[in-house]
Amino acid sequence: MQTTFNFLAYLIYLPVVIVLTWYVAHILFRNSKVFMLDIFGGKTDIAGATNRLFETGFYLLNLGCAFYIMEISTDITETRTMLELLSTKIGGFCIYLGIMLFLNLYLFFRGRRIAKQKSRLAEAAAQLRPQA
Amino acid sequence: MNTLAYLIYFIITGFITIWVGRRFFRNGRLFILGLLRQDESLTDAINRILLIGYYLLNLGYAALMISTWETITTYTELLESITEMTARIILTLSLIHYCNMAGIYVISKRKNTFTHS
Repeated sequence: MQTTFNFLAYLIYLPVVIVLTWYVAHILFRNSKVFMLDIFGGKTDIAGATNRLFETGFYLLNLGCAFYIMEISTDITETRTMLELLSTKIGGFCIYLGIMLFLNLYLFFRGRRIAKQKSRLAEAAAQLRPQA
Repeated sequence: MNTLAYLIYFIITGFITIWVGRRFFRNGRLFILGLLRQDESLTDAINRILLIGYYLLNLGYAALMISTWETITTYTELLESITEMTARIILTLSLIHYCNMAGIYVISKRKNTFTHS
């Protein structure tokens, strides 16, 4: 029986993907606390809780996707094919992760904008009230 | 081989279920507290019931999925099928999670407009 490189490819793929997801989530959600504090008007506890929930969701979705696309259906017989397949898979996953990152950033910016608009409206209403 | 796969699968899904459940339990409390107008005892009760429900749903689903498992002969297939089944569980979990967050958002929004107008 000829040896295949599938198992080795999985053994390389899994740690790379897990470390990548962890790293991106770590960077994103360490810096998103500022946004959350802006969105929730400086309420630390609810901002932290929302941040935690978003982080968990991010991990679940991306690790789930990474595991789901892992399977290589053909038998790999050469190291060259293995490297090519691995780089295709990991590269595709990187691009997907980048899109997810920007989606999250968009959500944070949007939430911040809406929160700012609301506070401005509240200020305007407070200024109007004594005159009326 | 299949028995080994089931064992590893159950360890992984059990670990993920309990870890995620504890996280939701701790961070979701504040939101229920906000929705129930700071009623602490009711919040804790509802939170605990939700946690139990979540465990039942998830572990039950994980156990159900075992019946669709194909026969495994090599270690490569073992790794493949365990990853795929775990991925399904994780993806379902994330779907439910996002639905829940959207639900909390919608309810709190409706509540806000209700109290302000």
